[in-house]
Amino acid sequence: MTNVTFIIIEKSYLIRKGLTSVIEKIPTTQIVQQFETAEELNASINSDVDFIICSPDQVVSLSKEFKQNAQLISLTAKSSKISAKINWAEHIYLEDTQKQIIKKLNDLIGNKTQKDSVSELPEEISKREADILKNIALGYSNKEIADKLFISTHTVVTHRKNITRKLGIKTVPGLTIYAILNKLIDINDSGQLT
Amino acid sequence: MLITRNIKMADVIHLNYFTLTVLNRFGIELGFGDKSVEDVCKMYQVDADFFLEIVNTFVDKDYFPKKHLQTFPVKLITNYLQKTHDDYHQNKVPEIEFLIEQMVNSCYTQKDKIVLLKKFFNDYKQELLNHTKREEEVVFPYTLAIEKAYLSDKPDQSVLKLMETYSIDVFQNEHDNIEEKLFDLKNIIIKYLPQPKNSKLCNKLLFELFNLEQDLNDHSRIEEKVLVPKIRQMEKIITEGFAQTK
Repeated sequence: MTNVTFIIIEKSYLIRKGLTSVIEKIPTTQIVQQFETAEELNASINSDVDFIICSPDQVVSLSKEFKQNAQLISLTAKSSKISAKINWAEHIYLEDTQKQIIKKLNDLIGNKTQKDSVSELPEEISKREADILKNIALGYSNKEIADKLFISTHTVVTHRKNITRKLGIKTVPGLTIYAILNKLIDINDSGQLT
Repeated sequence: MLITRNIKMADVIHLNYFTLTVLNRFGIELGFGDKSVEDVCKMYQVDADFFLEIVNTFVDKDYFPKKHLQTFPVKLITNYLQKTHDDYHQNKVPEIEFLIEQMVNSCYTQKDKIVLLKKFFNDYKQELLNHTKREEEVVFPYTLAIEKAYLSDKPDQSVLKLMETYSIDVFQNEHDNIEEKLFDLKNIIIKYLPQPKNSKLCNKLLFELFNLEQDLNDHSRIEEKVLVPKIRQMEKIITEGFAQTK
Protein backbone atom coordinates (compact mmCIF):
# COMPACT_ATOMS: atom_id res chain seq x y z
CA MET A 1 0.00 0.00 0.00
CA THR A 2 1.21 3.46 -0.72
CA ASN A 3 -0.25 4.92 2.43
CA VAL A 4 2.27 6.07 5.00
CA THR A 5 1.16 5.79 8.60
CA PHE A 6 2.02 7.96 11.57
CA ILE A 7 1.58 7.67 15.29
CA ILE A 8 1.75 10.79 17.39
CA ILE A 9 2.66 10.60 21.07
CA GLU A 10 2.15 13.95 22.72
CA LYS A 11 0.61 15.05 26.00
CA SER A 12 -0.85 18.28 24.71
CA TYR A 13 -4.19 17.89 22.99
CA LEU A 14 -3.66 21.14 21.10
CA ILE A 15 -0.34 20.07 19.65
CA ARG A 16 -1.61 16.60 18.80
CA LYS A 17 -4.63 17.96 16.97
CA GLY A 18 -2.63 20.65 15.23
CA LEU A 19 0.04 18.30 13.97
CA THR A 20 -2.60 15.83 12.82
CA SER A 21 -4.31 18.44 10.71
CA VAL A 22 -0.99 19.35 9.09
CA ILE A 23 -0.11 15.72 8.36
CA GLU A 24 -3.52 15.08 6.87
CA LYS A 25 -2.73 17.65 4.19
CA ILE A 26 -0.12 15.29 2.74
CA PRO A 27 -2.05 13.15 0.23
CA THR A 28 -0.56 9.69 0.84
CA THR A 29 -0.50 9.83 4.60
CA GLN A 30 -2.79 8.69 7.26
CA ILE A 31 -2.58 8.98 11.01
CA VAL A 32 -2.96 5.67 12.68
CA GLN A 33 -3.50 6.87 16.18
CA GLN A 34 -2.71 9.51 18.71
CA PHE A 35 -1.50 8.75 22.20
CA GLU A 36 -0.74 10.84 25.24
CA THR A 37 2.14 8.69 26.46
CA ALA A 38 4.41 5.95 25.13
CA GLU A 39 3.02 3.49 27.69
CA GLU A 40 -0.38 3.87 26.13
CA LEU A 41 1.02 3.06 22.72
CA ASN A 42 2.85 0.00 24.06
CA ALA A 43 -0.43 -1.26 25.43
CA SER A 44 -2.17 -0.90 22.10
CA ILE A 45 -2.16 -3.20 19.10
CA ASN A 46 -0.83 -1.32 16.13
CA SER A 47 2.65 -2.41 15.25
CA ASP A 48 2.38 -1.58 11.58
CA VAL A 49 3.54 1.98 11.56
CA ASP A 50 6.04 3.87 9.47
CA PHE A 51 6.75 6.91 11.62
CA ILE A 52 6.39 7.74 15.28
CA ILE A 53 6.40 11.41 16.17
CA CYS A 54 7.05 12.02 19.85
CA SER A 55 8.82 14.22 22.31
CA PRO A 56 12.28 12.87 23.28
CA ASP A 57 11.35 12.21 26.91
CA GLN A 58 8.78 9.66 25.74
CA VAL A 59 11.22 7.58 23.72
CA VAL A 60 12.69 5.94 26.83
CA SER A 61 9.47 4.15 27.62
CA LEU A 62 8.70 3.19 24.03
CA SER A 63 8.78 -0.58 23.49
CA LYS A 64 11.60 -2.10 21.44
CA GLU A 65 9.27 -3.43 18.81
CA PHE A 66 8.20 0.07 17.86
CA LYS A 67 11.72 1.43 18.01
CA GLN A 68 12.87 -1.17 15.51
CA ASN A 69 9.94 -1.11 13.13
CA ALA A 70 9.30 2.59 12.85
CA GLN A 71 11.37 5.65 12.16
CA LEU A 72 11.38 8.17 14.99
CA ILE A 73 10.73 11.85 14.58
CA SER A 74 11.30 14.21 17.49
CA LEU A 75 8.82 16.87 18.45
CA THR A 76 10.22 19.68 20.62
CA ALA A 77 10.74 23.36 20.98
CA LYS A 78 13.86 24.55 19.16
CA SER A 79 15.49 25.48 22.45
CA SER A 80 15.22 22.09 24.13
CA LYS A 81 17.97 19.51 24.08
CA ILE A 82 17.57 16.31 22.14
CA SER A 83 19.48 13.21 23.13
CA ALA A 84 21.91 12.21 20.39
CA LYS A 85 21.79 8.58 21.49
CA ILE A 86 18.64 7.98 19.52
CA ASN A 87 18.65 7.64 15.80
CA TRP A 88 16.20 10.36 14.84
CA ALA A 89 14.99 10.34 11.27
CA GLU A 90 13.91 13.97 11.49
CA HIS A 91 13.21 16.78 13.95
CA ILE A 92 10.01 18.77 14.01
CA TYR A 93 10.04 21.98 16.04
CA LEU A 94 7.05 23.65 17.56
CA GLU A 95 8.25 26.84 15.86
CA ASP A 96 8.13 25.26 12.37
CA THR A 97 5.69 26.65 9.85
CA GLN A 98 3.20 24.35 8.18
CA LYS A 99 5.25 24.50 4.99
CA GLN A 100 8.42 23.45 6.79
CA ILE A 101 6.73 20.51 8.49
CA ILE A 102 5.18 19.29 5.25
CA LYS A 103 8.53 19.58 3.48
CA LYS A 104 10.35 17.62 6.18
CA LEU A 105 7.77 14.85 6.15
CA ASN A 106 7.52 14.77 2.37
CA ASP A 107 11.28 14.30 2.13
CA LEU A 108 11.07 11.41 4.57
CA ILE A 109 8.18 9.77 2.77
CA GLY A 110 9.95 10.22 -0.54
CA ASN A 111 12.91 8.31 0.87
CA LYS A 112 10.71 5.55 2.07
CA THR A 113 8.75 5.02 -1.11
CA GLN A 114 11.99 4.86 -3.07
CA LYS A 115 13.26 2.18 -0.73
CA ASP A 116 10.13 0.14 -1.28
CA SER A 117 10.65 0.71 -5.02
CA VAL A 118 7.07 1.83 -5.40
CA SER A 119 7.11 4.35 -8.17
CA GLU A 120 4.22 6.02 -9.90
CA LEU A 121 2.79 3.32 -12.10
CA PRO A 122 -0.04 3.74 -14.53
CA GLU A 123 -3.28 2.58 -12.98
CA GLU A 124 -4.03 0.13 -15.77
CA ILE A 125 -3.04 -3.42 -14.99
CA SER A 126 -0.45 -5.02 -17.25
CA LYS A 127 -1.00 -8.00 -19.50
CA ARG A 128 0.87 -10.25 -17.09
CA GLU A 129 -1.15 -8.97 -14.14
CA ALA A 130 -4.33 -9.63 -16.07
CA ASP A 131 -3.19 -13.26 -16.53
CA ILE A 132 -2.59 -13.58 -12.80
CA LEU A 133 -5.89 -11.91 -12.00
CA LYS A 134 -7.69 -14.30 -14.31
CA ASN A 135 -6.25 -17.27 -12.44
CA ILE A 136 -7.05 -15.77 -9.03
CA ALA A 137 -10.63 -15.32 -10.18
CA LEU A 138 -10.76 -18.91 -11.36
CA GLY A 139 -9.96 -19.92 -7.82
CA TYR A 140 -6.35 -21.05 -8.13
CA SER A 141 -3.95 -20.69 -5.20
CA ASN A 142 -0.67 -18.76 -5.39
CA LYS A 143 1.24 -22.02 -5.65
CA GLU A 144 -0.95 -23.34 -8.48
CA ILE A 145 -0.66 -20.08 -10.40
CA ALA A 146 3.11 -20.12 -9.98
CA ASP A 147 3.32 -23.67 -11.38
CA LYS A 148 1.00 -22.88 -14.25
CA LEU A 149 2.84 -19.77 -15.38
CA PHE A 150 6.37 -21.06 -14.60
CA ILE A 151 7.16 -18.31 -12.11
CA SER A 152 7.94 -18.34 -8.39
CA THR A 153 5.25 -18.02 -5.72
CA HIS A 154 7.02 -14.91 -4.57
CA THR A 155 6.47 -13.31 -7.98
CA VAL A 156 2.79 -14.21 -7.86
CA VAL A 157 2.50 -12.52 -4.46
CA THR A 158 4.19 -9.39 -5.80
CA HIS A 159 1.82 -9.31 -8.77
CA ARG A 160 -1.14 -9.72 -6.44
CA LYS A 161 0.01 -6.82 -4.32
CA ASN A 162 0.31 -4.62 -7.38
CA ILE A 163 -3.10 -5.65 -8.68
CA THR A 164 -4.71 -4.84 -5.34
CA ARG A 165 -2.98 -1.49 -5.18
CA LYS A 166 -3.98 -0.51 -8.69
CA LEU A 167 -7.59 -1.63 -8.55
CA GLY A 168 -8.33 -0.79 -4.93
CA ILE A 169 -9.78 -4.26 -4.42
CA LYS A 170 -8.39 -6.50 -1.72
CA THR A 171 -10.42 -9.69 -1.48
CA VAL A 172 -10.60 -12.64 -3.86
CA PRO A 173 -14.38 -12.39 -4.37
CA GLY A 174 -13.93 -8.68 -5.14
CA LEU A 175 -11.21 -9.43 -7.68
CA THR A 176 -13.42 -12.10 -9.22
CA ILE A 177 -16.19 -9.60 -9.82
CA TYR A 178 -13.71 -7.24 -11.42
CA ALA A 179 -12.48 -10.04 -13.67
CA ILE A 180 -16.02 -10.86 -14.79
CA LEU A 181 -17.01 -7.22 -15.33
CA ASN A 182 -13.94 -6.77 -17.49
CA LYS A 183 -14.51 -10.03 -19.36
CA LEU A 184 -11.26 -11.62 -18.19
CA ILE A 185 -13.28 -14.66 -17.28
CA ASP A 186 -16.77 -15.83 -17.99
CA ILE A 187 -19.38 -15.83 -15.23
CA ASN A 188 -19.78 -19.58 -15.57
CA ASP A 189 -16.06 -20.26 -15.10
CA SER A 190 -15.86 -18.59 -11.73
CA GLY A 191 -15.39 -21.04 -8.90
CA GLN A 192 -15.98 -18.33 -6.33
CA LEU A 193 -19.36 -17.12 -7.30
CA THR A 194 -21.26 -19.96 -8.82
CA MET B 1 -16.89 19.17 20.18
CA LEU B 2 -17.06 17.27 23.42
CA ILE B 3 -20.58 16.27 24.37
CA THR B 4 -21.31 16.74 28.07
CA ARG B 5 -24.21 15.89 30.36
CA ASN B 6 -25.58 19.44 30.37
CA ILE B 7 -25.95 19.79 26.62
CA LYS B 8 -29.45 19.50 25.22
CA MET B 9 -30.08 16.08 23.74
CA ALA B 10 -31.58 17.76 20.68
CA ASP B 11 -28.27 19.57 20.08
CA VAL B 12 -26.40 16.26 20.12
CA ILE B 13 -28.38 15.24 17.05
CA HIS B 14 -27.93 18.63 15.41
CA LEU B 15 -24.20 18.27 15.95
CA ASN B 16 -24.03 14.92 14.21
CA TYR B 17 -27.15 13.22 13.01
CA PHE B 18 -25.46 9.84 12.90
CA THR B 19 -25.85 9.84 16.69
CA LEU B 20 -29.48 8.93 16.03
CA THR B 21 -28.30 5.32 15.68
CA VAL B 22 -26.67 5.51 19.10
CA LEU B 23 -29.82 6.92 20.69
CA ASN B 24 -31.75 4.15 19.07
CA ARG B 25 -29.53 1.49 20.55
CA PHE B 26 -29.98 2.93 24.01
CA GLY B 27 -33.72 2.80 23.49
CA ILE B 28 -34.04 6.59 23.67
CA GLU B 29 -36.95 7.91 21.61
CA LEU B 30 -37.33 11.34 20.06
CA GLY B 31 -39.62 14.03 21.43
CA PHE B 32 -37.51 14.96 24.45
CA GLY B 33 -38.02 18.70 24.02
CA ASP B 34 -35.24 20.79 25.53
CA LYS B 35 -34.14 18.27 28.11
CA SER B 36 -30.43 17.81 28.74
CA VAL B 37 -28.50 14.64 27.99
CA GLU B 38 -28.48 13.84 31.70
CA ASP B 39 -32.25 14.25 32.11
CA VAL B 40 -33.09 12.24 29.02
CA CYS B 41 -30.77 9.45 30.15
CA LYS B 42 -32.46 9.46 33.54
CA MET B 43 -35.86 9.20 31.87
CA TYR B 44 -34.81 6.08 30.00
CA GLN B 45 -32.73 4.68 32.86
CA VAL B 46 -29.56 4.88 30.85
CA ASP B 47 -26.20 5.37 32.58
CA ALA B 48 -25.40 8.94 31.50
CA ASP B 49 -21.63 8.58 31.85
CA PHE B 50 -21.64 5.49 29.70
CA PHE B 51 -23.89 7.13 27.12
CA LEU B 52 -21.49 10.08 26.95
CA GLU B 53 -18.46 7.85 26.42
CA ILE B 54 -20.18 5.98 23.61
CA VAL B 55 -21.57 9.03 21.88
CA ASN B 56 -18.27 10.90 22.12
CA THR B 57 -16.32 7.96 20.73
CA PHE B 58 -18.86 7.91 17.93
CA VAL B 59 -18.60 11.60 17.09
CA ASP B 60 -14.84 12.10 17.48
CA LYS B 61 -12.61 9.27 16.37
CA ASP B 62 -9.72 10.69 18.37
CA TYR B 63 -11.65 10.76 21.61
CA PHE B 64 -10.01 8.87 24.46
CA PRO B 65 -12.64 7.14 26.52
CA LYS B 66 -10.15 6.16 29.20
CA LYS B 67 -11.25 8.49 31.97
CA HIS B 68 -14.12 6.30 33.10
CA LEU B 69 -12.70 3.19 31.58
CA GLN B 70 -12.51 1.18 34.76
CA THR B 71 -15.82 2.23 36.20
CA PHE B 72 -18.29 0.68 33.78
CA PRO B 73 -19.44 -2.88 34.27
CA VAL B 74 -18.45 -5.06 31.33
CA LYS B 75 -22.08 -6.03 30.95
CA LEU B 76 -22.93 -2.45 29.98
CA ILE B 77 -20.37 -2.50 27.19
CA THR B 78 -21.25 -5.94 25.85
CA ASN B 79 -24.94 -5.03 25.98
CA TYR B 80 -24.32 -2.03 23.80
CA LEU B 81 -22.17 -4.03 21.39
CA GLN B 82 -24.87 -6.68 21.27
CA LYS B 83 -27.38 -4.02 20.32
CA THR B 84 -25.19 -2.79 17.49
CA HIS B 85 -25.00 -6.39 16.24
CA ASP B 86 -28.78 -6.62 16.31
CA ASP B 87 -29.03 -3.32 14.48
CA TYR B 88 -26.77 -4.61 11.70
CA HIS B 89 -28.73 -7.78 11.22
CA GLN B 90 -32.20 -6.35 11.66
CA ASN B 91 -31.87 -2.98 9.94
CA LYS B 92 -28.69 -2.07 8.15
CA VAL B 93 -28.04 -5.31 6.24
CA PRO B 94 -31.69 -5.86 5.17
CA GLU B 95 -31.80 -2.25 3.93
CA ILE B 96 -28.76 -2.85 1.73
CA GLU B 97 -30.19 -6.14 0.50
CA PHE B 98 -33.41 -4.39 -0.37
CA LEU B 99 -31.58 -1.76 -2.42
CA ILE B 100 -29.53 -4.35 -4.28
CA GLU B 101 -32.68 -6.31 -5.00
CA GLN B 102 -34.30 -3.17 -6.39
CA MET B 103 -31.27 -2.61 -8.59
CA VAL B 104 -31.54 -6.15 -9.93
CA ASN B 105 -35.22 -5.66 -10.67
CA SER B 106 -34.91 -2.27 -12.32
CA CYS B 107 -32.11 -3.32 -14.61
CA TYR B 108 -32.65 -5.28 -17.81
CA THR B 109 -29.45 -5.14 -19.80
CA GLN B 110 -26.87 -5.63 -17.05
CA LYS B 111 -28.86 -7.91 -14.83
CA ASP B 112 -26.21 -10.63 -14.63
CA LYS B 113 -23.68 -8.11 -13.35
CA ILE B 114 -25.88 -6.74 -10.61
CA VAL B 115 -26.62 -10.32 -9.62
CA LEU B 116 -22.89 -10.68 -9.01
CA LEU B 117 -23.09 -7.82 -6.53
CA LYS B 118 -25.96 -9.51 -4.83
CA LYS B 119 -24.00 -12.72 -4.45
CA PHE B 120 -20.99 -10.81 -3.17
CA PHE B 121 -23.02 -9.05 -0.53
CA ASN B 122 -24.67 -12.30 0.46
CA ASP B 123 -21.25 -13.78 1.20
CA TYR B 124 -20.35 -10.68 3.12
CA LYS B 125 -23.51 -10.94 5.16
CA GLN B 126 -22.54 -14.49 6.13
CA GLU B 127 -19.08 -13.31 7.12
CA LEU B 128 -20.52 -10.53 9.25
CA LEU B 129 -22.89 -12.99 10.87
CA ASN B 130 -20.05 -15.36 11.74
CA HIS B 131 -18.06 -12.46 13.11
CA THR B 132 -20.77 -11.19 15.42
CA LYS B 133 -21.74 -14.72 16.42
CA ARG B 134 -18.20 -15.47 17.49
CA GLU B 135 -18.17 -12.33 19.62
CA GLU B 136 -21.48 -13.19 21.21
CA GLU B 137 -20.68 -16.84 21.86
CA VAL B 138 -17.02 -16.64 22.83
CA VAL B 139 -15.76 -13.14 23.47
CA PHE B 140 -18.59 -11.59 25.47
CA PRO B 141 -19.00 -14.57 27.85
CA TYR B 142 -15.24 -14.61 28.35
CA THR B 143 -15.10 -10.93 29.29
CA LEU B 144 -17.98 -11.36 31.72
CA ALA B 145 -16.25 -14.34 33.35
CA ILE B 146 -13.05 -12.35 33.72
CA GLU B 147 -14.92 -9.48 35.32
CA LYS B 148 -16.63 -11.82 37.75
CA ALA B 149 -13.30 -13.28 38.82
CA TYR B 150 -11.82 -9.81 39.07
CA LEU B 151 -14.57 -8.58 41.38
CA SER B 152 -14.68 -11.56 43.68
CA ASP B 153 -12.37 -11.66 46.73
CA LYS B 154 -11.47 -15.27 46.17
CA PRO B 155 -11.63 -16.03 42.48
CA ASP B 156 -12.12 -19.63 41.49
CA GLN B 157 -9.13 -21.49 40.08
CA SER B 158 -11.18 -22.31 37.00
CA VAL B 159 -10.67 -18.80 35.69
CA LEU B 160 -6.97 -19.57 35.30
CA LYS B 161 -7.84 -22.52 33.10
CA LEU B 162 -10.15 -20.30 31.10
CA MET B 163 -7.39 -17.78 30.66
CA GLU B 164 -5.09 -20.54 29.43
CA THR B 165 -7.50 -21.44 26.64
CA TYR B 166 -8.41 -17.90 25.67
CA SER B 167 -7.26 -14.39 26.34
CA ILE B 168 -8.21 -10.95 25.18
CA ASP B 169 -4.98 -10.86 23.15
CA VAL B 170 -6.23 -13.85 21.18
CA PHE B 171 -9.39 -11.88 20.45
CA GLN B 172 -7.33 -8.98 19.24
CA ASN B 173 -5.35 -11.20 16.90
CA GLU B 174 -8.32 -13.05 15.50
CA HIS B 175 -10.38 -9.88 15.26
CA ASP B 176 -10.35 -9.95 11.49
CA ASN B 177 -10.88 -6.99 9.35
CA ILE B 178 -14.57 -7.19 8.64
CA GLU B 179 -14.52 -3.93 6.68
CA GLU B 180 -12.30 -5.24 3.89
CA LYS B 181 -15.03 -6.73 1.71
CA LEU B 182 -17.19 -3.70 2.26
CA PHE B 183 -14.35 -1.56 0.99
CA ASP B 184 -14.11 -3.73 -2.14
CA LEU B 185 -17.82 -3.53 -2.72
CA LYS B 186 -17.78 0.26 -2.58
CA ASN B 187 -14.86 0.43 -4.99
CA ILE B 188 -16.50 -1.95 -7.44
CA ILE B 189 -19.63 0.18 -7.50
CA ILE B 190 -17.78 3.49 -7.68
CA LYS B 191 -15.12 2.51 -10.18
CA TYR B 192 -16.11 -0.51 -12.21
CA LEU B 193 -19.79 -1.34 -12.28
CA PRO B 194 -21.54 -0.33 -15.50
CA GLN B 195 -23.95 2.28 -14.23
CA PRO B 196 -27.56 1.20 -14.20
CA LYS B 197 -30.15 3.66 -15.47
CA ASN B 198 -31.39 4.36 -11.99
CA SER B 199 -28.34 6.09 -10.56
CA LYS B 200 -30.34 7.30 -7.58
CA LEU B 201 -30.61 3.73 -6.37
CA CYS B 202 -26.89 3.32 -6.78
CA ASN B 203 -26.22 6.45 -4.72
CA LYS B 204 -28.55 5.31 -2.02
CA LEU B 205 -26.80 1.96 -1.88
CA LEU B 206 -23.39 3.60 -1.64
CA PHE B 207 -24.66 5.86 1.11
CA GLU B 208 -25.84 2.86 3.10
CA LEU B 209 -22.54 1.06 2.55
CA PHE B 210 -20.54 4.05 3.77
CA ASN B 211 -22.86 4.30 6.72
CA LEU B 212 -22.43 0.64 7.65
CA GLU B 213 -18.68 0.92 7.27
CA GLN B 214 -18.53 3.94 9.57
CA ASP B 215 -20.62 2.15 12.14
CA LEU B 216 -18.44 -0.95 11.98
CA ASN B 217 -15.39 1.20 12.50
CA ASP B 218 -16.98 2.79 15.52
CA HIS B 219 -17.93 -0.62 16.79
CA SER B 220 -14.36 -1.91 16.59
CA ARG B 221 -13.10 1.31 18.15
CA ILE B 222 -15.21 0.68 21.22
CA GLU B 223 -13.94 -2.88 21.39
CA GLU B 224 -10.34 -1.89 20.97
CA LYS B 225 -10.27 1.25 23.06
CA VAL B 226 -12.68 0.36 25.85
CA LEU B 227 -13.24 -3.36 26.12
CA VAL B 228 -9.81 -4.77 25.32
CA PRO B 229 -7.73 -2.51 27.62
CA LYS B 230 -10.21 -3.01 30.43
CA ILE B 231 -10.13 -6.80 30.20
CA ARG B 232 -6.39 -6.90 29.71
CA GLN B 233 -5.87 -5.04 32.96
CA MET B 234 -8.25 -7.36 34.78
CA GLU B 235 -6.42 -10.39 33.40
CA LYS B 236 -3.17 -8.98 34.68
CA ILE B 237 -4.51 -8.31 38.17
CA ILE B 238 -6.10 -11.76 38.38
CA THR B 239 -2.86 -13.47 37.35
CA GLU B 240 -0.90 -11.41 39.86
CA GLY B 241 -3.41 -12.24 42.55
CA PHE B 242 -2.97 -15.95 42.01
CA ALA B 243 0.79 -15.63 41.89
CA GLN B 244 0.79 -13.95 45.32
CA THR B 245 -1.33 -16.57 47.03
CA LYS B 246 0.96 -19.36 45.89
